[in-house]
Amino acid sequence: MNCVKLVLMMMAALVVAGCTSTKQMADVGFVPPQGEYRLLVMRPDVSVGLLTAGGAVEPREDWTDQARGHLLAALAQQQASRGGMVKVAATREEAGDPARVAELERLHKAVGASIALHKYLGQSLPTKKDRFDWTLGQQAVEFGQASGYDYALFLHAEDSFASSGRVALQAVSFLGCMVGVCIMPTGGQQAAYSSLVDLKTGQVVWFNVLSSTTGDIRTPEGAQTLVRNLLGKMKPGEETRSAETLAGGKKA
Amino acid sequence: MPRRWPAARRRKRAIMGSISRRGFLAAGLCGCTLCWGGAALGKTASTVSPRSGPDAGLGAGPDALPPLIGPGYQPVDADERGLWQLCERLEEELSTSSLLMQMPGLRQYTQEVVERLLGAQSKDLRIYLLHDPAFNAAMFPNGMMLLNSGFFARVRNEAQFAAVVGHEAGHYARKHSVSGWRDRKSKTGFMAFVSAGTAVVAGASAAAGGNPYGWVDLANSINSMLVLSIFSFSRGHESEADLYGLRLLADAGYTPEAAAQVWRQMIDERKASAAERGKRYRDPARSSFSTHPPSDDRMKALGAAAEAVRAIAKEAGFSDEQDRWQAAVAPYQAMLLEEQVKVNDPGASLYLIQSLAQDGWSGLLRYFEGEIYRLRDLPGDADLAATAYGAAVQFEDAPPEAWRAHGYARLKAGQGEDGRRALARYLSLRPDAKDAGMIRFSLAQ
Repeated sequence: MNCVKLVLMMMAALVVAGCTSTKQMADVGFVPPQGEYRLLVMRPDVSVGLLTAGGAVEPREDWTDQARGHLLAALAQQQASRGGMVKVAATREEAGDPARVAELERLHKAVGASIALHKYLGQSLPTKKDRFDWTLGQQAVEFGQASGYDYALFLHAEDSFASSGRVALQAVSFLGCMVGVCIMPTGGQQAAYSSLVDLKTGQVVWFNVLSSTTGDIRTPEGAQTLVRNLLGKMKPGEETRSAETLAGGKKA
Repeated sequence: MPRRWPAARRRKRAIMGSISRRGFLAAGLCGCTLCWGGAALGKTASTVSPRSGPDAGLGAGPDALPPLIGPGYQPVDADERGLWQLCERLEEELSTSSLLMQMPGLRQYTQEVVERLLGAQSKDLRIYLLHDPAFNAAMFPNGMMLLNSGFFARVRNEAQFAAVVGHEAGHYARKHSVSGWRDRKSKTGFMAFVSAGTAVVAGASAAAGGNPYGWVDLANSINSMLVLSIFSFSRGHESEADLYGLRLLADAGYTPEAAAQVWRQMIDERKASAAERGKRYRDPARSSFSTHPPSDDRMKALGAAAEAVRAIAKEAGFSDEQDRWQAAVAPYQAMLLEEQVKVNDPGASLYLIQSLAQDGWSGLLRYFEGEIYRLRDLPGDADLAATAYGAAVQFEDAPPEAWRAHGYARLKAGQGEDGRRALARYLSLRPDAKDAGMIRFSLAQ
């Protein structure tokens, strides 16, 4: 009987193990945009793929295109309800001079990766330890002056779905758990990050990372959920700092 | 027992794992590089088993390799379309990169060679020339081809240039990216099942009081073989692309021996570089974990295939088109050599200069020879550099910088009059040079 219970519990764990987590960080003086502001949502960087049995992600064009379309719609819907003048760019051309936009996107990619590495992955830099002061520099300021926008919002999102082979592999591994050798392969994963750049100063004023084992950005609802979880409640700088301090538990 | 990670750490791993995975995919999935440096190889190309490699081994003649795709090809299968989309994204970045060589003349010339080599299929390829002094070229499944400036710097004639372009075109025409991906996908999938199945069997066996390690050893040996076979499959692709390129080369009337010559030069350069550093030459491709066959074997296989082509096409006139090549590259040679010299690999750079000089020394070659010695800066190098600069300015085509270098060398040697004359010559050739003010100051002393 015990064994049956265990099986049921573990199967339940497989089904409900899904969880979503986010963690915001912001410049200490950050206040979410309000009133009359002009916000440009840069072309979202999206990729969706199939998780193969061996654990690699095989990119899928149709899924990626679906997800990008739904994310654009969800972003437009969400930002429209916030009062500012918002434009969601589906292409680089829509965001402005494509060469300049490309440069800015690449710059953001490098800075965003640094933030992820040094603020989220534990490789903290001594000079960035108790502050959040990342910037895209003069280039972003110039872009703001040329385009007239106050803020630029960048979004990177990935999703993957287990192939039937991967699911079968999980089933076999589950048998292993029954006999005491439990190495459970992961299923599909959602990962996203977003940053808000103040184009008057070039600073990355707000940043958020999301990780989830549930959800499906190929559907309108899934895309809306991701956008809501990631961008729904932008906390002011003071709040995110205290949250970070609590979570870290190291600082007085 | 499962490894337990603290929740926060698990989350971080999950986030970054999936974000960085895409980067890996983009780099590893998308391109087939010529890979001189690569992670190298094990079995000799001629022993690559046709069973583990693609359809044709080196034993089959070049005609056994028809292109798998025709002009205007577009992918249909989901996995291939996904690969193309990934590569298109890379291409979007690349096409606006500041690393692109903005040299319409060279691009035009490259296009002409590609058309001569590939005919109708050349329209499906988009060629990008990149500032990168490494000797390399890369092909992507969607038709994007990268050619490094370091490749232009080393090639000696149009036939050698076409040999490498043909090799890369072979990857494209034979759809190596997608078949390599499918091979990896099925083998890694199988390996995952072997591991998971072993966990079950070993656990059950241990529970029954048996010894589980036999099962684990068995699984490890199966999976090791599969890993090796993935690399071997990739080496098979390289050999196939070599042969495919050779056929294109001969069909377009280029000297078929050019392909093997590229490898000869490459190996000699590597040996020179290693000797300079006091190291023994070792081919990084000579390993079972290499994606490319050993350079020496590729050279020999290409040489043998070239002989076979010669034997079949006795009456055909082949040409290496050296004059065309030299005329096309001459305006850019100073830029190409400067990039190489700044890599700070004096052995390789000297080898390159000396092999280019086999077609005759020039002021440009002598000047860069001097620069290599000056930058190496070993005892005696200053004299060698001075001699080279002195030789450079004897040539009509000596670059203005050679006069400057010669001038300073003469000043240091105490030949003030000579030195000042040379510096004045530099100023007259480059009145707007950035260092003109400083040199006028030196002359006024």
